[in-house]
Amino acid sequence: MRAPRRVVELAAMPPLARTYVKGLSTSAVAMMAPRRPVGPDEVPAVDLLVRDVAADVERLTAYQHLVGEPAGDLLPAGFVHVLAFPLQTALMIRQDFPLPLLGMVHLANRVEQRRPVPLGSLLDVQVGARDLRAHRAGTTVDLVGEVRVDGETVWTGVSTYLARGVRLAGGTAPAAERRAAWTPPTPTGEWRLPADVGRRYAAVSGDRNPIHTSSLAAKAFGFPRTIAHGMYTAARALADVGPAARGEAYRWDVEFAAPVLIPGTAAVRVSPGEHGHEFVAWNARKGKKHLEGRVTPLG
Amino acid sequence: MAAPRTTTPAPGVPAAGLRRAVVVGGNRIPFARAGGPYVRASNLDMLGAALDGLVARFGLAGERIGEVAAGAVLKHSKDFNLAREAVLGSPLSPETPAYDLQQACATGLETVVGLSNKIRLGQIESGIAGGVDSTSDAPIVVSDALRRILLDMSRAKTPQQRVATAMRIRPRHLAPSAPTTGEPRTGLSMGEHQALTTAAWKITREAQDEIALASHHNLAAAYEAGFFDDLLTPYRGLTRDANLRADTSLEKLGSLKPVFGKSLDTPPTMTAGNSTPLSDGASTVLLASDAWAAERGLPVLATVVDAEAGAVDFVHGRDGLLMAGAHAVPRLLARNGLTLQDFDLYEIHEAFAATVLCNLAAWESDEFCRERLGLPGALGSIDRSRLNVHGSSLAAGHPFAATGGRIVATLAKALAAKGPGSRGLISVCAAGGHGVVAILEAA
Repeated sequence: MRAPRRVVELAAMPPLARTYVKGLSTSAVAMMAPRRPVGPDEVPAVDLLVRDVAADVERLTAYQHLVGEPAGDLLPAGFVHVLAFPLQTALMIRQDFPLPLLGMVHLANRVEQRRPVPLGSLLDVQVGARDLRAHRAGTTVDLVGEVRVDGETVWTGVSTYLARGVRLAGGTAPAAERRAAWTPPTPTGEWRLPADVGRRYAAVSGDRNPIHTSSLAAKAFGFPRTIAHGMYTAARALADVGPAARGEAYRWDVEFAAPVLIPGTAAVRVSPGEHGHEFVAWNARKGKKHLEGRVTPLG
Repeated sequence: MAAPRTTTPAPGVPAAGLRRAVVVGGNRIPFARAGGPYVRASNLDMLGAALDGLVARFGLAGERIGEVAAGAVLKHSKDFNLAREAVLGSPLSPETPAYDLQQACATGLETVVGLSNKIRLGQIESGIAGGVDSTSDAPIVVSDALRRILLDMSRAKTPQQRVATAMRIRPRHLAPSAPTTGEPRTGLSMGEHQALTTAAWKITREAQDEIALASHHNLAAAYEAGFFDDLLTPYRGLTRDANLRADTSLEKLGSLKPVFGKSLDTPPTMTAGNSTPLSDGASTVLLASDAWAAERGLPVLATVVDAEAGAVDFVHGRDGLLMAGAHAVPRLLARNGLTLQDFDLYEIHEAFAATVLCNLAAWESDEFCRERLGLPGALGSIDRSRLNVHGSSLAAGHPFAATGGRIVATLAKALAAKGPGSRGLISVCAAGGHGVVAILEAA
């Protein structure tokens, strides 16, 4: 039997810098220790909650400029994700969280922006871990966030992360889907990601995972050089879809396939699809997909 | 509540009862290639030179013109009053007001449209429209990071604060940024955008080179015939457009290597020969009411009949970046009760040879005209012997904001030569997915 889920309220957002140091050390220890399988019920039965979170205007502006959002007084859906992110991290460094934080791969992200969130709103941000699942390369977990203003849910987000090489006890990974050969479409644009984009997104998002800022750290995790934050690329795609096409309430789904190395260039197609706008970014030289997703107005 | 005194014409119907706005003439300086004879000339210098020539040609010294409108695409922030400064440096009355306008490559044509409308409404009797651009003297700015630090320094209250702020400067902040022809929202250059459209409409290399060849031959022939004698003032030793290659041939154009669209699946077709070069230059157009021109014994070449602006969603690939004219022209035709074939001359700005061909192909496409324009069928093709008959941007060069003035003055003179009632269509594409189109008629 699972213990009932409990909500632990924190007085303020935990500072991410210290969280990472802790995450780094516990992950390092975890990486040394022999890997034991994780039980399917081992996610902490705890949601973390911080009330009355307010956006900082300077940070908001820097975020909007960086990802190409109009610098209006509504918080972009990706910025709300950024506001909730410290709670994701705080959960993942808890002693009872079964997967190591560092080296975790962001596989997918689903956000529902249900109502516009104006600057100055006081946000109640709640995050919990859910649903350990077996994956052919390890174990995945969903970090589920909910943001409320005056008791009304305005934003929900589900971030799916993969801990590579961690086996889920009793779990069977779904067979790897046979990937149909993918032919890149005609691009509508190009993202040129300068060398400092990892540092700049780290500064506005607080996500200071060193694989985005230090090529040494990136190499330690098996990348040839630093990689762009997935949520930075997803946020650029959302901005490319633009306010006219997405409206004020929308779903923003993204699946990450392969990271974008920085500095680097990605070909992009953002175009009207069946239920909204679709986007895909890829490496034009190798014909390899970086990410794809869609933005669907909620009607 | 009182009933409104005025009646608004139904949308899509040309306003009745307005008087005419006419093109009296134009003057430009020859267009130079970037880094050529105008390398040290600023936008203000070149616009002033073109304006001085216009004033001299039409005896406007000391004249208070109703309004001058001009603009530049690549513009220094110090030139916020470019048009007014050009007036103050000219023999025109210093009591001539002026305003700046900027709509990328449509800037020049839009100044003509705006001033014509003021004349038609009776707000002004005369106007000078103009445009200028220098890619040689383009503004270069410091990086955003350095700019923020410098601005913070200027706001510092104590020397200590200033020093502390200055300490934030890092070597990587010092790289300057020059303007590019890249679209901010897609990151693609204009050439790469056109390459996508070129491929989508399956425009061949040969067809593009033929457009380029015709442009050079037509412009050279016009110079030989003395057509530009009263449209142009020499400047800095240049008497003809420096980009003009009178002796070019299909063989020469065919030998050039493609420069755009090299990463697409289809073979690249766009070269330096069938794309416009970066250029420096300026142009002006004198507009007036019939009465103002008659009082001064000035000629009237053509009427500015009507104009339409368009824009396309190139960001999401719905249309090509430079295809707004394909949408704006049919709206303009419908409002004026005309068909695409009702014109004696066509001026389609040659940003790239392929731009012209893609727009023509769109109008010839039954599918495009039905599905995208909502028309019963294709607009049809045009008589190519009426297209850009005095050369266009591929041969003359394309100093962005100066192109509209070049086209309007050239077309007005050509229509006047053809005789009363002859009609011309202008289409100018521009960055941002813009297009501005206009109808001129011999006065």
